[in-house]
Amino acid sequence: MSSESSLFGHCWLPLLLVAPLMLLIVLFFYVPVFQAFYWSFFLEQPFGGGSEFVGLQNFARVLSDPEFWMAGWRTIVFMLTASTLAVAVPLMLAIAADRKIGLSYAARNILVWPKGIAGAAIGVVFAFIFNPFVGLMAPLNALFPGLWNPGMDGTDAFVTLVAAHVWSGIPFNFVILLAGLRSIPPTMYQAAAMDGASPWRRIADVQLPLIMPQLFLTFVLEFTESITSVFALIDTMTGGGPGGSTTLLVYKIYIDGFRGFDLSGASTQTAILMVFVLLLAACQFVFLGRRINYER
Amino acid sequence: MTAIDTAIRATAADIELIGVTKAYDAKTTVIPPINVALRPGEFTVVLGPSGCGKSTLLQMIAGLERVSGGKIVIGGREVQDLEPKHRGCAMVFQNYALYPHMTVAENMAYSLKVAGVSKADRAQRVGVVAKMVGLADFLPRKPGQLSGGQRQRVAIGRAIIREPGVLLFDEPLSNLDAQLRHDMRVELADLHRRIGATSVFVTHDQVEAMTLADRILILNKGLIEQFDTPKAIYHHPASVFVAKFIGAPPMNILAVTGDGSALRLADGQVVANYADKGSFQLGIRPEDIAVNAGGSIKAEIRYREDLGSHEILETNIADQNLRITMPFGAEIDTEQTLSLSFPRARLHLFDSETGRAIHNAFDDAKTAPTFVKEYQ
Ligand SMILES: Nc1ncnc2c1ncn2[C@@H]1O[C@H](COP(=O)(O)OP(=O)(O)OP(=O)(O)O)[C@@H](O)[C@H]1O
Ligand SMILES: [Mg+2]
Repeated sequence: MSSESSLFGHCWLPLLLVAPLMLLIVLFFYVPVFQAFYWSFFLEQPFGGGSEFVGLQNFARVLSDPEFWMAGWRTIVFMLTASTLAVAVPLMLAIAADRKIGLSYAARNILVWPKGIAGAAIGVVFAFIFNPFVGLMAPLNALFPGLWNPGMDGTDAFVTLVAAHVWSGIPFNFVILLAGLRSIPPTMYQAAAMDGASPWRRIADVQLPLIMPQLFLTFVLEFTESITSVFALIDTMTGGGPGGSTTLLVYKIYIDGFRGFDLSGASTQTAILMVFVLLLAACQFVFLGRRINYER
Repeated sequence: MTAIDTAIRATAADIELIGVTKAYDAKTTVIPPINVALRPGEFTVVLGPSGCGKSTLLQMIAGLERVSGGKIVIGGREVQDLEPKHRGCAMVFQNYALYPHMTVAENMAYSLKVAGVSKADRAQRVGVVAKMVGLADFLPRKPGQLSGGQRQRVAIGRAIIREPGVLLFDEPLSNLDAQLRHDMRVELADLHRRIGATSVFVTHDQVEAMTLADRILILNKGLIEQFDTPKAIYHHPASVFVAKFIGAPPMNILAVTGDGSALRLADGQVVANYADKGSFQLGIRPEDIAVNAGGSIKAEIRYREDLGSHEILETNIADQNLRITMPFGAEIDTEQTLSLSFPRARLHLFDSETGRAIHNAFDDAKTAPTFVKEYQ
């Protein structure tokens, strides 16, 4: 402690050093957040020209709109399926890599690459991969016409979206989970083997409990990530369609706000979404976080 | 106590290693072919310097490491290709390797749970074992809330709960402090007596080896230097390596030359009568050297170390170091030259090339000892 205070003779120096970062955070995170909350209590004219305080009227309007609830429901379905898969798939890969199965060195590298790819690019690539005529599913479509068509079928489009999201989530989650698995001392497995536990049993009884902190971290991040970062994927792959089947809340906010110029409605939905995400994270910490054993 | 005595009792199995070898890669052979037979219920201590292959040997018996060749027979069954759980062994690890997310009771009962033992039976067995290892009050705790000694007790409890025919220990006491180590040693000896499993205990602590073992197996670079009772190993070391490894301070080894009638040091002093010619290594323990005015062997004191109960003299004899242990209060003349004599019965002679002992070299009257065996 004393070394810190002797390092910074003046109290304004540390403040000055963090100022640029703080400025960025305030400017691009806190200001918009408060702005959104603020606007959700006003009725904004679409082409400028004054706004009027309307109290909770915006909320009443949004909450009575069935489209909002549909988008909300899709968001929750997406959140549960996509984030579960986005943790489960890297988990399986990490367990396999940890056991040094096959090409793990090459595989580990290849698996990390998607981390460097922007969401929009992933969207474009996956739209191509899952294209019903030239993509991965084209041969199946030739056999069973109409089996796969994300352009026409809402479920197919949703599945494509989930697949793209899961793929984009693999690198980060894989690295985190693999690090967790690598830090389990080998004697733990030896002890379990002596106790008669089969390799599968060891996954359930030793590996998973011991990487709970990592699983928890990836789940919390995935839950919030899947709600917001899906925007780039929707925008490039489906445009919210077909028939609104992939219009999740983030995308609906964008459509309402920038296409429909319903700025107040968009702000209100943003505020609701933020509160939802916040509550979700809080619940996870309260109900799961406390039960996690961080001891090794 | 009698109820507990009979509650956990193993059917001890004998262990036989027949030409067992281990090579982690093509170039380095960690264990050249070795042959050992351990009797049922015997407590064997595997002793050797770091990296000599003790853990490797233990893990091959346990089934955690594959053998590169040879057979392992436990209780009459060839087990070298079986999974660990089918070998009837249990193991105690140096770093305890307890499951941190399970309570003490769950840790100890885990093998029973995997084996499908009912909850009630598990609880009953855990109760018995916890009492045996003195952990009855700690069952609901997690390992993180225990001291090192208590953790090792959990590890021991976990190992004995299935009443294994073979108990394997890989340096289980080396993470404990000196006092605890001593206490646990006494407890382990007691447990072994009560459970009766064939035990293999790896250590590089010779005190543990001497106090716990029925027989000590001394390994050096994967080779068995000697496999015998602690007494035989102390009094009749089979090689220079064993002689230097056992005993604190270790045995003095002096280079001597036989001229046909006597063994002489480099400076010409006669240390013992001996009929053979050639160069040898002569061993004598520091405590066996007699310091007296009548002694014909001269050595110069370089250094005195007072340890309270006894004194250690570092002396110089024919440019070689000779360590002498003196009882406390023994009178030593202040002059720098000591007169010594080496009691003939306490001398050990080794071949200077192979380092192996030459048995009965100075045994003028006694019959030849039959218990020192050669291996390999
Ligand atoms: N997985 C492995 N791969 C390659 N070499 C190994 C492996 N495990 C051990 N060795 C080598 O085998 C030799 C014996 O190792 P082992 O662990 O059996 O020694 P040890 O006698 O138990 O030593 P210590 O007293 O330090 O525990 C060492 O030289 C070690 O480097
Ligand atoms: Mg070892």
